[in-house]
Amino acid sequence: MKIDYSLITRRTFLNTLFGGWLVALCSGSAYALLKFAFPTLGKEPDFVVLNTKDFMNIPPNSVKPFAWGGKVGLFFKNANGTSTALKGVCTHMECNITYKPEDKKFYCACHKGWFDENGKNIEGPPPKPLEFFDFKIEGEKLIVAKKGIKVELPKA
Amino acid sequence: MNCQRLKNWVEERYDVEEIKDFAKKKLVPTHKYEIWYYTGGITLFLFVIQFITGMILSFYYVPHFEHAYKSIIEIVTKLNMGWFFRSLHHWGAQLAIVFLFIHVWSTLLLKSYRKPREFLWFSGFMLLGISIFFGLSGYLLLWDERAFAAVKVATGGAGNLPVIGNFIKAFLRGGIDVTGETLIRFYAFHVSILPLATLFLIGLHILLVQYHGMSVPLSLEKKAHKEIPFFPNLFYKDLIIWLIILGIVVTLATLVPPEIGKKADPLAPAPENIKPEWYFLFLFQTLKLFPGEILGLNGEMIAIILISCGILFFFLIPFFDKKSNRGEKSPLFTWIGIIYFLYFVIMTVFGFVS
Repeated sequence: MKIDYSLITRRTFLNTLFGGWLVALCSGSAYALLKFAFPTLGKEPDFVVLNTKDFMNIPPNSVKPFAWGGKVGLFFKNANGTSTALKGVCTHMECNITYKPEDKKFYCACHKGWFDENGKNIEGPPPKPLEFFDFKIEGEKLIVAKKGIKVELPKA
Repeated sequence: MNCQRLKNWVEERYDVEEIKDFAKKKLVPTHKYEIWYYTGGITLFLFVIQFITGMILSFYYVPHFEHAYKSIIEIVTKLNMGWFFRSLHHWGAQLAIVFLFIHVWSTLLLKSYRKPREFLWFSGFMLLGISIFFGLSGYLLLWDERAFAAVKVATGGAGNLPVIGNFIKAFLRGGIDVTGETLIRFYAFHVSILPLATLFLIGLHILLVQYHGMSVPLSLEKKAHKEIPFFPNLFYKDLIIWLIILGIVVTLATLVPPEIGKKADPLAPAPENIKPEWYFLFLFQTLKLFPGEILGLNGEMIAIILISCGILFFFLIPFFDKKSNRGEKSPLFTWIGIIYFLYFVIMTVFGFVS
C-alpha cells in the first residue's frame, strides 16, 4: 500500500525498519563479541629485578635464563668475563635461542639462525640483531632494564 | 516389540517409500577415474573417528598449562585403553590430512571445481584449512617443547602479515606471548569452535554433492558413460574401503604410538633439530629459503605475503580457470595444479632430509 504523497510503500518502510534493526543487532553483537574475544594485551616489561647472587657467579662463556615477562631473557658472561643481558628470542620467528659455548655464538634451532657474541645476525634467516639490555647492581638486586630506561626502585 | 508394528508406527508418520525411492534412483557415474570419488568418503570416515575419539579423550584431558602435559601422560599410562585412543586420535588426524590432500589434488587435476561446483571447492578448501588448524591446535594441547616452538612460529608467522597480522597474532595467542592463555584458547578452538564449523561445512559440502551430483572429468563428460546405483553398489564399496582404512589406522595406532617430548618450558631454548608436522614442512622449508632482508625489506614478511598469495590463488582457482568453466580442456590449469603439487612434495621431502 502506498499513500499518494508518500515516497515509499508501507512494505518498503517496514522492510527497511526491520532490516535496519537486524543489521544494528548483528553488528552490535559482533562488536561486543569481538571485543570480548580479543585479549587485553599486556606489554613487555621495561625492567625486571633479579637476585644478584644467582647471576653474577655464573662461569665465563655461559648463559643463564631469566623470565622477561612471558619471554626468556639471557644473562650472558662471555669468555673474557664481561657480563651482559639480552632478550633470548630469535628476531626471525620468536623461537628461544641457545648459547653455543664451543662456537661462542647464539643459535636458534627453529630455522637455523646464528648470532655472534655481540648479538649480530651472521647466518641464516634472522633479519635483525638480538636485543641487548642494560643492567645494574644495587646490593642484592640485579636490575635488568631495556636500553635507555631509567629505573628507580622504591626505597624500602 | 513387534517389528511390523514399529514399521507401521514409522510409516504412519513419515513417507518411508519416498526415501526408499530416492535411494533407489540415486545414480553415480562410473569411469576410469572413479577411484578418486572414494577419497572424500574416506576423509568423512576419518573425521567420524576423530570426533568419537576426541570426545572420549576430553573426559580426561585437563586444559591448563600446569596439568595438560601430566594429564596426557596419565591418559596413556593409567587409563584403560588410554594409550590406544590417544594413538588412534593421532593417527586418525594424520591420515585425515593425507586423504584431504589427495582429495583436494584429485579435485584440482580433474577440474571438478569448474562451474557449477565452485562452492564445493570453497567449502572443501575451508575444511582443509580448518583441518590444518585442528592439527596445530590439537598439537599444542600436548604442551611439549616441540608444540610450544611450533605454535610460536605459526602464530608469529601470521603476525608478519601486513596490517591485520598483529591482530591475528594477539587473537590466536590470547596475549603478546605463547602462554597458558594460548593453551586454553587453542583448546576452545579444538573442541568447540572448529568441530562446529566442521560439522556445518561437511553438511554443506555433502548437500552440495547431492545437489550437483558427482562431477565427471572433462575428457569423459561428452562421451557416453555408464551410471551405477549408489545403493548398494557404491555404498558397499565405500564400506569395504572404510574397513580397510580402519584397519590401517588401528594398526598404526598400535604399532607406532606417537611420542611426547619434554614438557614445554618458556625459558628453555628451542629443541635441537626441531621440525614441524609434515604438512607444515613445505612452509617451514619456504621460510628457510628467504634471507632476513631482501632489497632492504623484511624477508620474512615478503615470504609470508608470497605464501598467502599462493594460497589465495589456489582458493580462487575456479574463478581464474575460464576455459574449464566453458567445458573446454584447460591444460594451463593442469600445469598449475602439477606445479603446486610438485612444490608441495619437493619442499616436504627437502624438509624431511635437511
